[in-house]
Amino acid sequence: MMIEIRNLHKSFGALEVLKGIDVSLDKGKVLVIIGPSGSGKTTLLRCMNLLETPDQGTIKLSDRSLDFQKGRKVSSKEVTELRKRTGMVFQSYNLFPHKTVIENVMEAQITVQKKSKEDARKSSQELLAKVGLGDRGNSYPHQLSGGQQQRVGIARAMAVEPDVLLFDEPTSALDPELVSEVLKVIKQLAIEGRTMVIVTHEMKFAADVADHVLLMDGGYIIEQGHPKDVLNNPQSDRAKQFLNRLTGEDI
Amino acid sequence: MSDREIQIIIDSFWPLLRAGLLYTLPLAISSFILGLILAVLSALARISGVPILSAISRFYVWIIRGTPLLVQLFIIFYGLPSVGIILPEFIAALIGFSLSVGAYGSEIVRAAIQSISKGQWEAGYSLGMTRSQTLRRIILPQASRVSVPPLANSFIGLVKDTSLAASITYIEMFRKSQEIVARTYEPLVLYMEAAVIYLIFTSILSFFQNKLEKRLGRSSAD
Repeated sequence: MMIEIRNLHKSFGALEVLKGIDVSLDKGKVLVIIGPSGSGKTTLLRCMNLLETPDQGTIKLSDRSLDFQKGRKVSSKEVTELRKRTGMVFQSYNLFPHKTVIENVMEAQITVQKKSKEDARKSSQELLAKVGLGDRGNSYPHQLSGGQQQRVGIARAMAVEPDVLLFDEPTSALDPELVSEVLKVIKQLAIEGRTMVIVTHEMKFAADVADHVLLMDGGYIIEQGHPKDVLNNPQSDRAKQFLNRLTGEDI
Repeated sequence: MSDREIQIIIDSFWPLLRAGLLYTLPLAISSFILGLILAVLSALARISGVPILSAISRFYVWIIRGTPLLVQLFIIFYGLPSVGIILPEFIAALIGFSLSVGAYGSEIVRAAIQSISKGQWEAGYSLGMTRSQTLRRIILPQASRVSVPPLANSFIGLVKDTSLAASITYIEMFRKSQEIVARTYEPLVLYMEAAVIYLIFTSILSFFQNKLEKRLGRSSAD
């Protein structure tokens, strides 16, 4: 099991966003999380690399296991160790604007993995080639289109050889015509057997790429399973309502 | 204007400019460098999340910004000897101006750091970088760009403020002009002449400030 989350709770002030979440994911599988805004899906994803600290529950990810209780602080060393096993792709890319494209990818290899500059440059060049940007290494992020920037974001996330790749609505900030170039890259990674967790609103893509789909609402998982079952044949009324509205929007 | 006045202006130009180049500017530059170091340390202490460090930083900024620079200089130069601390006038001025630059600069640097989006911190963290690595490699380089224009402003202000050092007997440009006035009894022409030389200094600095800003603006379009 690559990811095993048990009884995860998270509140922001008085608002409880995650109300006891259980998730398991095997190595090499793709988990897609869908749900309306405010359902807690992004918070769940951000708990997986501790950008949000859960109030309660356990997270097992690769060879690290962390137990959370209210009022007990997790050491920053533990946090960093878990983060080294994940890579994250952000909705708004969050590339480093003062560094070139290849420096963005090299950064963590140098500071975190302590690779030499030459080694980092070599493997970063390979990663950029993989996302189709082998010739843009010396550009600055603002010189690229949104789709290109997000592909750099994916290369950067892969640079530390994470066990799990996390995607937080990776195409939501993109112009419609740029969405597919990013989805293609993600799909290729799925084919290669990367373990990935993806929060998305792209239902067709979810159906296409997911091994397992979670539908969240109001801090709970209201439906989960094989994408065909969840997306085409949901059981609960709330799930039907959500998916109907989406198909409505598609038309 | 009489011939005598014109002659005084011509005769005093070089001594004044010389005092400006040899005493005013070096005092401004060295105070600015020390002050910047203080400013960064103070800003980092303020955002460190460690209550005692943050409180020290706040206290420092509160005291220095809340009291007149001239009074601070008097305390350092005329006051401290009462407790056995006797400082040469240059050192006293250097300490006074550095503390001042540090306090105002602290707020500039803090604001610049806080202007960098939270997503930049998160991107660093998500790659397994520690807080200090993210600060050093991702946040500070971007923040330093943001803080260049306001810091350049405070440097130009500092060049003018060094005239306060005249009051603690440091012979910079303004003190020099006072000395010449004492000899020639021509306060209007001499002080005007000193003002013009300050204006030349600050105009040249403003020119470079504009160039620097344009350059920084070009390389960070987003």
